[in-house]
Amino acid sequence: MEYQGFRVLLHLRLGIMLTLLAGITYCKHAPASFSELFRRHKYITEAYFQKHETLIDRAFQDFISSELSHVFCGKQNFMPKLSVMQRQLIGEGSHRRLTSSVKIEIQPEVISSLSCEAIVIERLPSGVFADPFELEHLTGRGVFSGASAFGDTDLELPTVRANRSVVEVHVDLSPNSLSGNKNSWELKIEIPLHARYAPLGKHGYTRVEFESPDLFVHCVDEGDTLNQSCIFSSTDEGVRTSPHAIVWEVPSGIVKHTKIVSVLTFIAAVVGALSVFMACIFYSEVSVYNGTKQS
Amino acid sequence: MEVMNFRSLIIFSAFLRVLLIVYGEWQDTHMEVRYTDVDYLVFSDAAALVVVGKSPYKRSTYRYSPLIAFILTPNSFIHRSWGKFLFSASDLLVGYFIRAILKLRGVPENLTIYSLLVWLFNPFTFTIGTRGNCEPIICAIILWIIICIMRGNLFQGAVWYGLVVHMRIYPIIYALPIVLTLDPNHFQRGKKPTTVDWNSRQHKSNETSNRLWVFFQSIFTRSRILFGLISATVFFFCTGIFFYLYEWEFLHEALLYHLTRTDPRHNFSIYFYHIYLNYEREFAVLEKLISFLPQLIVQIVLVFRFAQDFPFCFFVQTVAFVAFNKVITAQYFVWFFCLLPLILPWSKMKLKWEGILCVLVWIGAQTHWLFWGYMLEFKGNQVFLQLWAASLLFFAANIYVMITIIRRHTYSPVFKRLVTSRTKKTT
Repeated sequence: MEYQGFRVLLHLRLGIMLTLLAGITYCKHAPASFSELFRRHKYITEAYFQKHETLIDRAFQDFISSELSHVFCGKQNFMPKLSVMQRQLIGEGSHRRLTSSVKIEIQPEVISSLSCEAIVIERLPSGVFADPFELEHLTGRGVFSGASAFGDTDLELPTVRANRSVVEVHVDLSPNSLSGNKNSWELKIEIPLHARYAPLGKHGYTRVEFESPDLFVHCVDEGDTLNQSCIFSSTDEGVRTSPHAIVWEVPSGIVKHTKIVSVLTFIAAVVGALSVFMACIFYSEVSVYNGTKQS
Repeated sequence: MEVMNFRSLIIFSAFLRVLLIVYGEWQDTHMEVRYTDVDYLVFSDAAALVVVGKSPYKRSTYRYSPLIAFILTPNSFIHRSWGKFLFSASDLLVGYFIRAILKLRGVPENLTIYSLLVWLFNPFTFTIGTRGNCEPIICAIILWIIICIMRGNLFQGAVWYGLVVHMRIYPIIYALPIVLTLDPNHFQRGKKPTTVDWNSRQHKSNETSNRLWVFFQSIFTRSRILFGLISATVFFFCTGIFFYLYEWEFLHEALLYHLTRTDPRHNFSIYFYHIYLNYEREFAVLEKLISFLPQLIVQIVLVFRFAQDFPFCFFVQTVAFVAFNKVITAQYFVWFFCLLPLILPWSKMKLKWEGILCVLVWIGAQTHWLFWGYMLEFKGNQVFLQLWAASLLFFAANIYVMITIIRRHTYSPVFKRLVTSRTKKTT
């Protein structure tokens, strides 16, 4: 009896040890698989579109939570606080800029050993798009350290034929750009966006609403020989975002115009064609009767 | 009164274009709004892809012949402005060809210079090459084809014609007037065609415009068959080679896209709003054919009326083609601006005030459209109906200018009827 109790206890301890070992191994490998993502792809969204054809919000959120659960950098144990202070849509017409004021608070003592960048992911609603070449141009001018658009980036398709797209922007967080009391970065990120031709409606405008961006801080421990990276997501801690939804009213064609526009367009084309036809016929008569005698 | 001699004109025009290219580089670097056309960036990116052995069609919105990307490859290793210098040089070549054509037709020097000014100092045209648009190359080729036909170099003309249709599909509309011009009374074996002198333009020509029955009688002549065969061979050869290199992407982007293009986004065409309002349903084949009918009727009537005066025929056909097209962008205007100097010496229209009225009507209607376009695109106002009405007005302006030019034109066939041995025997 005593011997059997001892055996149960031994098996229990063995089981616990094995579980812990598995857990430690998992923890050791979790940063590696996550670092793998950043070794293979410059952009998080690029990795998403390798597995999915189109942007589906739920699938993207699942992707973020499964691939990017935050990992501590080496022995450091810190948690930056990420918040989006203000969001605005600046400009008029079909070409505007989506601005986000972002604050990243971090313990000053960890900054020196880490190299960090802020990553902002905007899941654009259908109806607007970003021009990847324009983002490349901004990166070339040093506005961002990296920026690209993924998903349906066809510049010419109207909304009814286009799928959604995602913009991912990277901004270096250098110790020099720390604000005030050296424990936070304040960034203003401006993304140029363009409206697609909206679906037809009754009232002449289509509402396009923007969701909150996904915000990350990606750091690499410079002292770490394995060069492992860690990431902090805005979904971890409470992110303060602007309470007002960002709305873009895009002008759209009015359905009830269809018949009159089609009819008048064709009448105009026919009248134009007939006018040219008559001018040619009358021209030939003029030149026959007003010309000099044939030699 | 001599305004300027041709050499000074070309030097001054060249200087202006170099200045604009240099200014364009400065503006691109220092200002938010670029001077360079977005198409130039597309060409350059496509050329950079060709340099590394990739398909130029990997660059989205590259919808041209691979030849454009090929000739721009020096952008990658000489300077990014190489293409702009090439296009501006073509622009000057157009000026040179205009002079050559007018000289071949016996136009006096001062009238030639005035006509040249219309091309070389037209703000539409000198900005187009300097901003990096490739249309001046197409214009230069078309004018060279006219020179070849006038000199009787039909083989060369056919080769260039096949090439230009490969590069830009619209010159296909010149096929019928070219075939009609290659009349056996003008082109005979072993003889160069004889052009009618500008000085005899007031006299009623021996040619009647009603040569339809003659045309159908002798439709298959040696020169017509050869011209058609050679140009078709060159066209299909180019298409074949590039299809072998770049497969369906080339065929779709460079050819089929232009034939089937229906862009619902606002442009000068009267059809844009009709296309947008009906975009969510596919157009029936009958609807597409009916919408093509006005264009077809106009092209046919212009060709059969003016074919023998083929520079004028090309001009009015091009104006009509652009006006009746489903999509009109500003770069299309260059297609007829390069032909305008070829017809001015035969126009009875005086600058004051008929000429100025035509210019004001055309520019006024365009400016009016641009105002509503600005309100829609840059202010976000729902002005689709007003913009469409403005496009109808611009269409009316185009028709008015076209009809005025037709009515004030002195019809002048390019070639004289050659005396044949058969004719000699009967006299």
